[in-house]
Amino acid sequence: MADESLLSDELLRQLVAVGHVDILVGVPTLNNAPTIVPVVRAAQAGLSRHFPRARTLLFNSDGGSDDRTPALVRDSTPDDVETLTASHPLRTTHRITTPYHGLPGKSSALRMIFAVADLLSADAVVILDPDVTSVTPDWIPALARPVREGAVDFVAPLYPRAATDVPLVTQLVRPLVRAAYGWRLREPLVGEFGCSGRFAAHCLEQPVWANGLVREGVDLWLAGEALAGGFRPGQAALGPRVVAHATPRPGLPDVFQQLMSAAIACLEYHTEYWLARAGADEVPEFGTVAICTETGPVPDLQAMALAFARDVTALHPVLETILSAPTLQGVAQAAATAPDHLVYPDDLWAATVFEFVLAHHRAVMTREHVTQVLLPLYLGRTAAFLLEHAASSAATVDDALESLCLAFERAKPLAAAQWKKA
Amino acid sequence: MAQMVANAVRQAGVNFVDTVAVLLPRILITASIVAVGWIIAMALKWVIRWVLAWLHFNQGCDRIGVGTVLKTADLPPADVIVSLIVFWLVWVGFLLSGVDVLGFTALEGMVRGFALFVPRLLVAIVILVLGVVCANFAWRATLIAAVNARVPSPRVVSGAVRALVLILAGAMALDQIALARTIVLTAFAIAFGAVMLGLAIAFGVGGGGIARRILDHWFPEQPRTEREEFRHL
Repeated sequence: MADESLLSDELLRQLVAVGHVDILVGVPTLNNAPTIVPVVRAAQAGLSRHFPRARTLLFNSDGGSDDRTPALVRDSTPDDVETLTASHPLRTTHRITTPYHGLPGKSSALRMIFAVADLLSADAVVILDPDVTSVTPDWIPALARPVREGAVDFVAPLYPRAATDVPLVTQLVRPLVRAAYGWRLREPLVGEFGCSGRFAAHCLEQPVWANGLVREGVDLWLAGEALAGGFRPGQAALGPRVVAHATPRPGLPDVFQQLMSAAIACLEYHTEYWLARAGADEVPEFGTVAICTETGPVPDLQAMALAFARDVTALHPVLETILSAPTLQGVAQAAATAPDHLVYPDDLWAATVFEFVLAHHRAVMTREHVTQVLLPLYLGRTAAFLLEHAASSAATVDDALESLCLAFERAKPLAAAQWKKA
Repeated sequence: MAQMVANAVRQAGVNFVDTVAVLLPRILITASIVAVGWIIAMALKWVIRWVLAWLHFNQGCDRIGVGTVLKTADLPPADVIVSLIVFWLVWVGFLLSGVDVLGFTALEGMVRGFALFVPRLLVAIVILVLGVVCANFAWRATLIAAVNARVPSPRVVSGAVRALVLILAGAMALDQIALARTIVLTAFAIAFGAVMLGLAIAFGVGGGGIARRILDHWFPEQPRTEREEFRHL
């Protein structure tokens, strides 16, 4: 049952007027005026076009925007092309925008959306990212239909990715989550996703909403909770994900710190589940992911390789307290190679990441320091991967990423055994 | 004349025997106190080592960086040092008590002085340990931040930070035990001021280019690094 204290009296009155809904599309916002209109239009068009008979609600939970975001959500109308081509729905798509209370952030917004979904007994919930400008109406059925048809409880997105695209996901989060949780989920950072009302209600009941785990890494926690909570996961093919951040984003060190802390916090939270898992099960896919033919921007790999060598030398005394002797020796050897030929083998990278996770778990030093020290190594691994694969075909890159995931799976049993001893 | 000499010698002998008769029991008592004190101090030393091992004290010291400092300085592990400190404090306490029994006027104040010195010594040790912990934390934080911020020579910067914190802690500890307080304070003030002045002059005269590069790096006119342009997430 929804925590009604989250919902104001005015909001409750509006929700009572709406009644039960089949699909709820939730959009958490905070100063997203430059990008919100296409998102709302796509959501509206997706509901009208693909679910004309369904009772639907477009719900915006806003963190106190001062740039007219709520007004834009409320007032945005379908664009001209959509007006001419869309089939007209048989039911009204309700639209509510309301501020949430508590700390500004996606977790507070999602909590309110889940509470509304629970109160209205929504069959399916779709969450969209207000910064993603490439969202199309087809994303709504892609994320909602598998849930409505009862095939799964949680639908993660699948995007076409270039070799250079989001290495923090491909090199770190994806293989770590896959090996730990034992599911071949390709996008564990679910910027947008679909889920059942049952899953939303389950999440609401978890005692995590006030702590840092959800505040810092709600996307990752949701995916982990779906996998560890016994909910049937799926992944749906969406189009390319183009993000246009409306507000300046924190730098890489801050993002990396936040992401690693969230990933390890999830492992701490789901310890019993992931320690008992072995191997990695397939996650059903809905739709076909387009092959990404574009190569994204390639960073200065020579400079990254040189920086990696410098950083490993500088951080050696700190790395000694985190890494085992063989792993440290491997990292030092990798750093000592010529920048053109930098190689950071998959097994070495998997061992590195798991040893950092264990060091964080054991608190061998301040936990923030542990995650911060991993950043230069991650940049070295990324440079090595891109030196080898920046110009490779999509199939070759997929094979290389699969090989990396398998290396993490091989490294997991030892890490799990050491985790239990700690 | 001969009688006088004989009387004097006899009197000296009597005095010597009297003195020995007075001192011998005291010496024996002192020796007993010292011996018992040594046994008690040794027992305490082993008990403390056993308790510290049971508490995984060395691992805790490694975690806060004290263990690394001890290894670097070629000193024994932390539990050995703590047990040795306890041993010497207890045994010196017994030793001074024993010496007090001898009744030597010149040594009378030593026990009281030692009793007053021990708490100050303990506080100084605590200050030193805290200083080492703070210095290590500051060193690691500076090193990691400097590496991630691409500051040139991160180990030099972080090493300087650690040295400054250690020097400060050392000066505070020496001040606490009042060991050559005036000299320590004066030397510290002169050395610290000289180092700061030297660094300022060196950086201002010889490091203008470095300063410009650092400022350009921290406050770029255009976003330019591969880290910022390339989308990691």
